[in-house]
Amino acid sequence: MIIIGEQINATRSDIKRIVENHREDKLIELAQKLAKAGATYLDVNIGTGKGTSDDEADDMRWAVKTIGDKIDIPLCLDSADAAVIEAGLEARESKPAMINSTKAEKKHLERIVPLANRYNAQLVALAMDESGIPKTPEGRLTACRKTADWCAKCDVPMENVFFDPLVLPVSAGPMQGLLTLNTLVMIKKEFPEARTVIGLSNISFGMPARAILNTAFLQMAIYAGLDAAIMDPLNETLMQAIRTGEALVGKDRHFRKYSRKFRRKN
Amino acid sequence: MNEQELIEKIAYNVIQGRVVAEDEGFDEGLEGEPAVTELMEQAVEQNIDAKKLVVECLTGSMEDVGEKYDKGIYLIPDMLASAECVGAAMDILGPRLAKAGIETKGRFILATVAGDLHDIGKNIVGIMLKGAGFEVIDLGNDVPADRIVEETRKNNAQFVGLSALLTTTMREMEKVVKSLQNVGIRDKVRVLIGGAPTSDKFAEQIGADAYCRDAFHAVDVLRKMNI
Repeated sequence: MIIIGEQINATRSDIKRIVENHREDKLIELAQKLAKAGATYLDVNIGTGKGTSDDEADDMRWAVKTIGDKIDIPLCLDSADAAVIEAGLEARESKPAMINSTKAEKKHLERIVPLANRYNAQLVALAMDESGIPKTPEGRLTACRKTADWCAKCDVPMENVFFDPLVLPVSAGPMQGLLTLNTLVMIKKEFPEARTVIGLSNISFGMPARAILNTAFLQMAIYAGLDAAIMDPLNETLMQAIRTGEALVGKDRHFRKYSRKFRRKN
Repeated sequence: MNEQELIEKIAYNVIQGRVVAEDEGFDEGLEGEPAVTELMEQAVEQNIDAKKLVVECLTGSMEDVGEKYDKGIYLIPDMLASAECVGAAMDILGPRLAKAGIETKGRFILATVAGDLHDIGKNIVGIMLKGAGFEVIDLGNDVPADRIVEETRKNNAQFVGLSALLTTTMREMEKVVKSLQNVGIRDKVRVLIGGAPTSDKFAEQIGADAYCRDAFHAVDVLRKMNI
């Protein structure tokens, strides 16, 4: 499982303060903690909601440089603004990066997909289009197809694409979990070379015992073919759920990862 | 890499349970390094003596693995990974050994007896025996007594290894021993048995030569028979 650490997100008040004051020490400390806990990528979302696009681009450059200078970990550049993403990609200076994200909407695709090609970056593609989030797996798959067409046109290989089937809270609709899982299965079938990603914690929004819901959903998603999750690597219960889930569906050859986590320490 | 370095590296990777380069090992951080398959191919290319490779890379390493397993340091998947390494190595070395006219320690007929479908343990035994220098003919699972006897006779096997995991099927082993007697080849073969419900006492009862607790014990038992 590719674990994309979700914490560096300025919608959280503590991160917002770090970004606003450019607290390098605090940012590095958090990034190191997430890397050590087992994050494969770190999501970087510096949108504080206050500044202009140029301000955000500056903040993105700052965050990318600050982390990249100190820690050897791929970054997942998270913004709805293509200019901000491009600033981050540039600041990565060819080090591994992921774009988070594009919608299957022409104005996004024509801006974002060429960036994935130019910077040889991984690309998160949301299963939604101009009309919003489709309510059926078929509708979401249609959105993915549209993005796939653009990727083919812009020479972005499917191996570099992470389709996000989208996760909506089950609190708002009891069928949301199943809808995401069924979409996952269909995406894996239609685009076997592409990978899949979800923003995990959305599933449990507004519900108590979120960690338990998240864990159960994560394991079901692993069965459905999930490759990556935007989640909290510091949450030990979730990390255990990955180790056990993947071991049970044959995604942990020789049980190495599972054994390493749980075997008797000498 | 010189011969000694290469041999040590293969032995190390067998213990780590790394079949191919992309495999993780028991220890962390080995992914991408050449593993048993790649190293063994290199050894063959360098014309290192095949028999030496078996003895120094496989046999000793598996003893080490067996010890670690007995102590609870290694888990079943760790042991299986190492056994898989031996299997991969023997696939590469097998033709060489045959070509060099190197005699094996003997021919082994291996089977899970009739009515029993368990074969994980039996398969590990097979790999371990290959690694220890035996020629193994694995008949699979749910094998009737008369077929075991027929294959033993046909192949001039010196050893018969029987596995059963159920109290209801272990009795089949007795049938095999009796059938070997009936066709007059019982004194030409050693019969080794294993499987959860079996024991030393049971082996004695049915007239088998030895009970083996697990794959490592089997190799040990054979060594003590001076084979």
